[in-house]
Amino acid sequence: MNDRLLSSTVDEAVSSRLSGLLTEDTRPGYSGYLVAPENLLEAVQILRDELGFDYLSSVTGVDYLEEDRLETVYHFYRSTGGSGLVLKSSCSRENGRIPSLTPIYPGAEFQEREAWDLLGIRFEGHPDLRRILMWEGFDGHPLRKDWREPYFEEEAKPFKSRWPDGKAVRSEEKTPFGDNVCFPPDFDPQTWQAEPETVIERLQQDEKPLADEEIQTDRIVVNLGPQHPSTHGVFRMTVMLDGETIVSLKPVMGYLHRNHEKIAERNTFLQNMPFTDRLDYLASMSNNFGYAIAVEKLMGVTPPERAEYIRVIMAELTRISSHIMTTGFLLNDLGAFFTPALYALEERELILDIFEMVSGSRMMCNYFRFGGVVRDIPEDVLGRIRQLVTDRLPRKIDELDSYLTNNEIVKTRCQGVGVLTDVQAIAYSAAGPILRASGVPYDVRRADPYSIYDRFDFDVAVQTHGDVYDRYLVRLQEMRESLKILRQALRDIPGGPVLAGKPQYQVRVPAGEAYGRVEGPKGELGFYVVSNGKPNPYRYHVRAPSFINLTSLETMCMHQKVADAVVVLGSVDIILGEVDR
Amino acid sequence: MLVEWIIKSVVIVLFMTAGFAYVTLYERRLLARMQTRIGPNRAGPFGLLQPVADGIKLIFKEELVPHNADKLIFTLAPVITVIPALIITAVIPWGDTLTIGGTKITLYLTDVNIGILYLMAVTSISVYGITLAGWSSNNKYALLGGLRATAQMISYELALGLSFVGPILIAGSMSLLDIVKAQSSIPFILLQPAGFIIFFLASLAEVNRAPFDMPEAEQELTAGYHVEYSGMKFALFFMAEYIKLIAVAMIGSTLFLGGYQGPFVDQFPILGPVYLFAKVIIWLGVFIWLRATLPRIRYDRLMAFGWKIMFPIALLNVLVTAVVLVLVGG
Repeated sequence: MNDRLLSSTVDEAVSSRLSGLLTEDTRPGYSGYLVAPENLLEAVQILRDELGFDYLSSVTGVDYLEEDRLETVYHFYRSTGGSGLVLKSSCSRENGRIPSLTPIYPGAEFQEREAWDLLGIRFEGHPDLRRILMWEGFDGHPLRKDWREPYFEEEAKPFKSRWPDGKAVRSEEKTPFGDNVCFPPDFDPQTWQAEPETVIERLQQDEKPLADEEIQTDRIVVNLGPQHPSTHGVFRMTVMLDGETIVSLKPVMGYLHRNHEKIAERNTFLQNMPFTDRLDYLASMSNNFGYAIAVEKLMGVTPPERAEYIRVIMAELTRISSHIMTTGFLLNDLGAFFTPALYALEERELILDIFEMVSGSRMMCNYFRFGGVVRDIPEDVLGRIRQLVTDRLPRKIDELDSYLTNNEIVKTRCQGVGVLTDVQAIAYSAAGPILRASGVPYDVRRADPYSIYDRFDFDVAVQTHGDVYDRYLVRLQEMRESLKILRQALRDIPGGPVLAGKPQYQVRVPAGEAYGRVEGPKGELGFYVVSNGKPNPYRYHVRAPSFINLTSLETMCMHQKVADAVVVLGSVDIILGEVDR
Repeated sequence: MLVEWIIKSVVIVLFMTAGFAYVTLYERRLLARMQTRIGPNRAGPFGLLQPVADGIKLIFKEELVPHNADKLIFTLAPVITVIPALIITAVIPWGDTLTIGGTKITLYLTDVNIGILYLMAVTSISVYGITLAGWSSNNKYALLGGLRATAQMISYELALGLSFVGPILIAGSMSLLDIVKAQSSIPFILLQPAGFIIFFLASLAEVNRAPFDMPEAEQELTAGYHVEYSGMKFALFFMAEYIKLIAVAMIGSTLFLGGYQGPFVDQFPILGPVYLFAKVIIWLGVFIWLRATLPRIRYDRLMAFGWKIMFPIALLNVLVTAVVLVLVGG
């Protein structure tokens, strides 16, 4: 109701102010507005400055091969809440150019680099348009529909070679190595040398001498990672140090890249459900939730009541387990010797026990289905959850609070470190605890409620300083709010079926597009799915919060000590499975 | 006489090396208990053979020397680090004179009348080993670790040295035996509480223990100065670190906790080493407890703490002690 009201005012405002620049997207199943590339910057400037769409949630693209065009898709939101605005701009597949939004929304930087890398959309005016996930010697743009991977078999699964009569012949066995592996022209893998200096040279170009420097000092470039104990995976920060002070920092990622989106476009809709588990592997239930919401929007199904409650219970338990672990490992990054981390893991294990009881798996839950969840929660498991939520977890969160919050060393190391102001946080499209710690009370559960979150009474955790300490406080507060939601959900959960309709192996998804977003533990997790009526998604894009949160990493770490960079990274809470996809 | 010295020296070196092995086990078991784990308990009863297994593993590991490292210094650095750690305890008395079969055996290697100066001098040498290790590894992390170690140790040595002055003034001697004997009625921790705290904090920094373990900060510098070391060379660094830990605990016990003094030690001098041992165990337990509990202080704050807080307080402590002694004693 409220939602509709807001969107109608949005429509009116947009049509009155931007009537000359935008045209409505009238394709069946599609929504939003189309804009010509030459009008894009002007329209976006008006959107941001006059209509209040200051939060650029997602930038991605779709390759419409048959129409010979690449369509860039933008999702804008207001940081004060409400539904969003979808903007699309097309260019030709050959040498198509789109103006870059990075000067207006700095948060578009990495997303545009990703779109260039994977789709080959050239963003004009982008400060640093390089590949971000693929390696420098890669040929082509893998998310284009005419790009084929080595050992290509078919456009879509299930592959004929393995179905239906069980002939287990893999095409890689038929193809000797190298036969259809594509390399760029003049590329010889035997003689090719990586260019390790490119990032460093870039750093040195940025180098500006400090004004009030009396002693001339040398600067050194240090690679923190990809093999490093504090990068939480294979992530690399190339930092330039002046003594121990960071004067420049460039994140380098993609070491864990497996082209999640391309694989997902080959999969059927249902096959993607377990595949989303592997994104943020500490929060698989949240990933399931986001994807289920996106596809349900396309299919137009609504889950039954009991399923909605189960979903909320699982998502909130996931949030607690993720936050408690982040808090523990943040202390590890501060140099504590594993004690807080192990205390945190103890609680996480109890939550994982519950996940195992309901879904059969501790981490890769694969529990949600389109229109519900895969199986019901037994009554004794509900009892276990009740006990955990009312007794053990509140106690343990208070314990964590009393041990850490007033610790002198924690305070001196965290307060005033890695500061991101509210304006910066919105501009950089930061999400989740990072955004809320900077004083922006933006939580998708409240700002644009999905599922049944409008029924629960909870507060949006928010702090004002935007430093590492406030991010920790926000996470602590959020765990308590999650417990509040859990108690209400466990009180109100009704009986009944847990799946709309009967379980289906192959779902029918009508043509169209949908953007489903949830508030995951790391921030706004969005799934942009385009269907063309076939059993496989035509386009599947993940708005990965920890990837986009990294855009502001350099700003947060600038002129801090190298030890602080590690802490800032820990407070951003990245999961490389989600960053690299 | 010479034979006695040799036997005592061998006993001390063996005790320190064996002590190193079992301190690692003690630390791992105690840490595990504090972290709701069990710790190593597979090798031998209560995991008592774990250090042996670790030692054998380290001996048989391949020793790598980085490509552009300065090979001589790279090899020399662990030796320079470990030898001062081993000889540090030569001047620490383990007990008073023991009479066995009519022969009087002193329970200390030697009683130098400038024992404390010897301690200061020897502990400072091992900084060279760490710095040279960081320098010669041809690795940026190691270099940063080595630099941090140098800066940190220089700053904390001042406060450490000044904290020694209190006991020296009260005992009126720089011999450690005299200092211990002066504590027969009341340990200096009660007379010199500020000195004790300064000594404790400075010694934590001196042996690079949490929360002052900057030079090998795992989260930032992977392992700091010894990142490129493997096999037995790494084991030597490890050994130096833990032996210095024991040495610091012994020095601290001697200066502030009354050393080998304890009930009935006059009648049974053999109890002396037992008391010293017990005090060292407690002291080490506190070190391990701190490691399990505290996050690391940031490097620049550590330096600021050393120069702006510890150093003035240590100076003030010396001044107050001297004035009070003159007033009371004069």
